[in-house]
Amino acid sequence: MAEIIKSQPVKSPDLPKVLMLGWEFPPVINGGLGVACHDLCIALSKYANVTMIIPKSNPDFVVKNLNLIGLNTIDAKTLRNIGFAGENYKKLNKVHYIDTHLNPYYNGKSAGNQPLDLKSQYLKSVQIGNETAEVFHIDDLYGGDVIEKVTVFGKLAAKLACSLDFDVIHAHDWMTMIAGMEIKAQTGKPLVMHIHSLEVDRGGPDSKGWVYQMEKHGMEYADVLMPVSHFTGKIIHDYYGIPMSKIHTCHNGIRPVVPFRGEKLFKEKMVLFVGRLTRQKGPEFFVDIAEKVLEYNQDVRFVMAGTGEYFNPLLERAAQKGIAHRFHLTGFLNLDKVRQLLSIADVYMMPSVSEPFGLSAVEAVQFGVPSVISKQSGVSEVLQGSLKFDYWDVHRAAQYVLALLNDEVLAEKIKEDAYKDLEHISWDNASQTVIAGYKKFNLIQDKVTS
Amino acid sequence: MPSVCFYFQVHQPFRIKRYSFFDIGKDHFYEDDEKNQVILDKVSEKCYLKTNRKMLDLINRHKGKFKISYSLSGTAIEQFEKYRPDVLESFKDLAKTGCVEFLSETYYHSLSFIFSKEEFRRQIEMHRAKIKEHFGQTPKIFRNTELIYNNELASVIEKMGFKGILCEGVDRLLKGRTPNYLYQPAGSLKIKTFLKNYSLSDDIAFRFSDRNWKEWPLQADTFASWVHQIAGNGEVLNLFMDYETFGEHQWEETGIFDFLDYLPKEIMSHSDFDFKTLSEAADSYKVRDIYDAPDFISWADAERDLSAWLSNPMEKEAAKRIYALEERVIKSENKDLIEVWGKLQTSDHFYYMCTKFWSDGDVHKYFSPYDSPYDAYIYYMNVLADFESTIDLFYKDKKEGKKLEKKNNL
Repeated sequence: MAEIIKSQPVKSPDLPKVLMLGWEFPPVINGGLGVACHDLCIALSKYANVTMIIPKSNPDFVVKNLNLIGLNTIDAKTLRNIGFAGENYKKLNKVHYIDTHLNPYYNGKSAGNQPLDLKSQYLKSVQIGNETAEVFHIDDLYGGDVIEKVTVFGKLAAKLACSLDFDVIHAHDWMTMIAGMEIKAQTGKPLVMHIHSLEVDRGGPDSKGWVYQMEKHGMEYADVLMPVSHFTGKIIHDYYGIPMSKIHTCHNGIRPVVPFRGEKLFKEKMVLFVGRLTRQKGPEFFVDIAEKVLEYNQDVRFVMAGTGEYFNPLLERAAQKGIAHRFHLTGFLNLDKVRQLLSIADVYMMPSVSEPFGLSAVEAVQFGVPSVISKQSGVSEVLQGSLKFDYWDVHRAAQYVLALLNDEVLAEKIKEDAYKDLEHISWDNASQTVIAGYKKFNLIQDKVTS
Repeated sequence: MPSVCFYFQVHQPFRIKRYSFFDIGKDHFYEDDEKNQVILDKVSEKCYLKTNRKMLDLINRHKGKFKISYSLSGTAIEQFEKYRPDVLESFKDLAKTGCVEFLSETYYHSLSFIFSKEEFRRQIEMHRAKIKEHFGQTPKIFRNTELIYNNELASVIEKMGFKGILCEGVDRLLKGRTPNYLYQPAGSLKIKTFLKNYSLSDDIAFRFSDRNWKEWPLQADTFASWVHQIAGNGEVLNLFMDYETFGEHQWEETGIFDFLDYLPKEIMSHSDFDFKTLSEAADSYKVRDIYDAPDFISWADAERDLSAWLSNPMEKEAAKRIYALEERVIKSENKDLIEVWGKLQTSDHFYYMCTKFWSDGDVHKYFSPYDSPYDAYIYYMNVLADFESTIDLFYKDKKEGKKLEKKNNL
């Protein structure tokens, strides 16, 4: 059950103190957001004392300068100190369970307004010695009633935050926005919102549901917004009406890998797509591009790795176009399998409709695969070495694929230029940009330079 | 008595269109007519007509004491003929004053010297004929594309009968000497080299409108005082720049035309200074030292070498492929094939493929009609693929024509 927090980071007094609010966090969840938060936190802990509150944590997880607090592992003493233990919440009799399966990164349907109440199934009593305490307890961060989960998370995190010492609140995406706003309201500390993905990306420009409202409200309330690209910054401005003066772009970094080249078991060239098969990723354009390319070059195989609600329609579309013999849907693949595909791919294709960043394209670069990516992506801002098209411009994308397949000079040159870009794409750069943002907006004192 | 030599480069390329892979074999017309016309119109209005009018005015006002030299590329002249005869007329008016010299260059503003001496000579001859046709002059001074230069080039040009050649005054070759004298190229005997004074030239061409420059705003009398400083330590001050500096790179709003208006008067306010065309300067002054340029230099980018056109594998591949066609194109004796081949040699095509992103990339981007250097390369290579198959077709047809002829004769 609940355990004492094991991580006891060494605090450096001169570093700014940052209170991070996360939702996913490895090793519990290895989604894109979790990995990004995790890597950013670790890189940032070189420049700041970071305390991170998340729903769940692995108690063995220790990083210097990073104090990780999982709301499911808080000890009774801490909870009592912040006023959660004791009489008030002893009885959790009214348990709500609204089975809506709201999943922010899969379909973005909202669940409508639900009464906000701390008497929730997500607060569990735990016995520690002779004491009883309530902790946050959920198994699936995105299943069930997510809205209630984020609300409870917010209230609990806010209570906890009152006992912590920090200069800046740094929240990530809408799941932690309530928490961020609560903490700002209670402490008066400046609130930074790191934007990895928006409802407008996931659901399209007409998304105006609960999550959209949440995001809009949260971003209006925040002091500074840190989107992962200028592209996302522009969406924040255009679709949420936030002034550009509040926006400070922080491009993502990437973990270094040791790339390898695999052996292809077929003679044809291979064009690879990796991503969820959802509207946002533009998978249907990949089929159209494949058709156009195959008209001129039959010695190419098109491979889609990933799953999603477009799986069956894509299968049908490929069959209808008569290219099924050159078109392969692998379904969901784990990281190792994806890397194996990257190791044999000749071209990486990312036709995303709205991609805040697009780390997968950088992974392709790491594996030396030249990429053709949509201009509607954040990664196109940091990858000079790639061919870029508007996601609807199938003709142009097909032309690029053909050029890369036919012209080794071009493919080699793009690979080489992209390798140069990699030097600038790191979490260390990202965290320095974050710190620069804190300073630019006067959220922290510039102790280092003074 | 030091002389100031103004020389302006006037060049427009025939830009090729966004020629896609799917056009190969179907579309044999490669130029972006519309874009070429739009750009020429814009530059004509903003620069050529206005500046020519100003130059004519200055020549008349100073009663023939203000002199200038131009190099007009063959492709620029062709575009004037095609789209803007009024601009061509205004250059002819300048030629009639007797104060304007037209220089020689390769007709297509090409890199031909690097790849084929024969093609290089052919283009110089073509250009010579064009200049004679319009301006009634036979050029005596040679200026290679973007001041690309080395000792060997000077020697080849000397053998062709030119008396002077232009090049960049590169610090690493000057080794502390001033560019403000005529030099003798290493390995040549008679020909004289004019070295661009890049510092004073770039004050006008690049820094003039830079508000962060401590000399901004630059006035004609200030600039003239810098020019006068060479008195006693120089004979020929070479101010070489793109003609488009006036009104296009430096907009009219920057005051560049007013600057130009006062400059001759201010420079000649020192009685020792005058203006000369390059031929006059070559006749008036002796060479003072040897300028040794074993490797290629140019006036482009920070490197001042060939890297603006031939540094990356795409540029090298494209250049290799286009020059590999020489024999088949020339032997075809087909006017159209030879003309298309010539136009595809224009150096700008390679300049657009340049990927030196982080230093001079901005300049390349400013001039490029394409979204990226990769696009420039892809379109060019698609065009080349179509052109190669057109050549194949030509020879196939010719062979079959001969067969047919033989058959008919029997």
